[in-house]
Amino acid sequence: MNKKNHEQLLSSLLRNDHVGEPDKTIEDRLMYSFLLQNSRSKVKQNSFGNFFGWIFSAQGLGLKIGLVTLVLFFSVFNNQFTFEPAKVIGNDSISNQRILLADSAHIIQNVDSVRKDSLY
Amino acid sequence: MIFHKKDRVYTDSELMQQIVSGDQSAFSELYSRYKGRMYYYFYRMLGNSAEQANDFLQELFMKLIEKPESYNPAFSFSTWIYSIANNMCKNEYRRRVIRREYEQFEATEPRLDYVDDTSIEPEQLVEKIFQTLDLLGEDHRSAFLLRYREGFSIREVAEILELAEGTVKSRLFYARKIVAEKLDYLKNEIEF
Repeated sequence: MNKKNHEQLLSSLLRNDHVGEPDKTIEDRLMYSFLLQNSRSKVKQNSFGNFFGWIFSAQGLGLKIGLVTLVLFFSVFNNQFTFEPAKVIGNDSISNQRILLADSAHIIQNVDSVRKDSLY
Repeated sequence: MIFHKKDRVYTDSELMQQIVSGDQSAFSELYSRYKGRMYYYFYRMLGNSAEQANDFLQELFMKLIEKPESYNPAFSFSTWIYSIANNMCKNEYRRRVIRREYEQFEATEPRLDYVDDTSIEPEQLVEKIFQTLDLLGEDHRSAFLLRYREGFSIREVAEILELAEGTVKSRLFYARKIVAEKLDYLKNEIEF
């Protein structure tokens, strides 16, 4: 008998060997554990963890750099793009703005004409 | 029915991908496929203990539930799951050594008688084979089981046991040799 035949003999012996079945309650316990694990992972999916993970990872680096560049561009140069045609930028004495502040020294006191004589 | 979805048989790898996304039926299918094989492997690797085989089977699939993403779909699922099972057995042997159960095991080790009766039942013969393999240790037994029970190739056995192919071949050769020497029945059948 050659090598191949005795390997076949051992294989057939072992493959026809039966040692019983695993405990059926194991499957129930595993299914319950799977449900528990799955419910935990679903909560995780709804969190922002994945998003922040992506933000601070090296994935999509080009896209991130592009976004940051756009934000910087618009925030730094934003003032250059503001136009207000009604506002006259220049030194004009007529349009000098008065500063209106509450100052007790400048309060105009109303004089009652009826009681005017009594003042003298 | 027009929109009846045709039942498709998924590969182990596809089932694992479905398990990652939380599909319980995929897990049930995968468990049904592997429970018998893994139970047998643990049973024979852990000294024919049904209780330990059940415990290890449960622990193995718990690992799969907890971290299904650790499986790389680029590799064979059966190779992956057997490598996990083998590592679990290795850890158990280490624990046994620490508990000094190994000495007790040696003390209670059944004496192996030569089998001269050619009318021996196949079940008895298999038991004798495993008693013989116990003399060699778990490394030879795992290689023997993976090759002759599970039908893995030498390369796959080497991958599971994290050994060189040459080492696996020599272990299998030595295991066959010692089995043939110990069992007269096989001695007549096996030639080297």
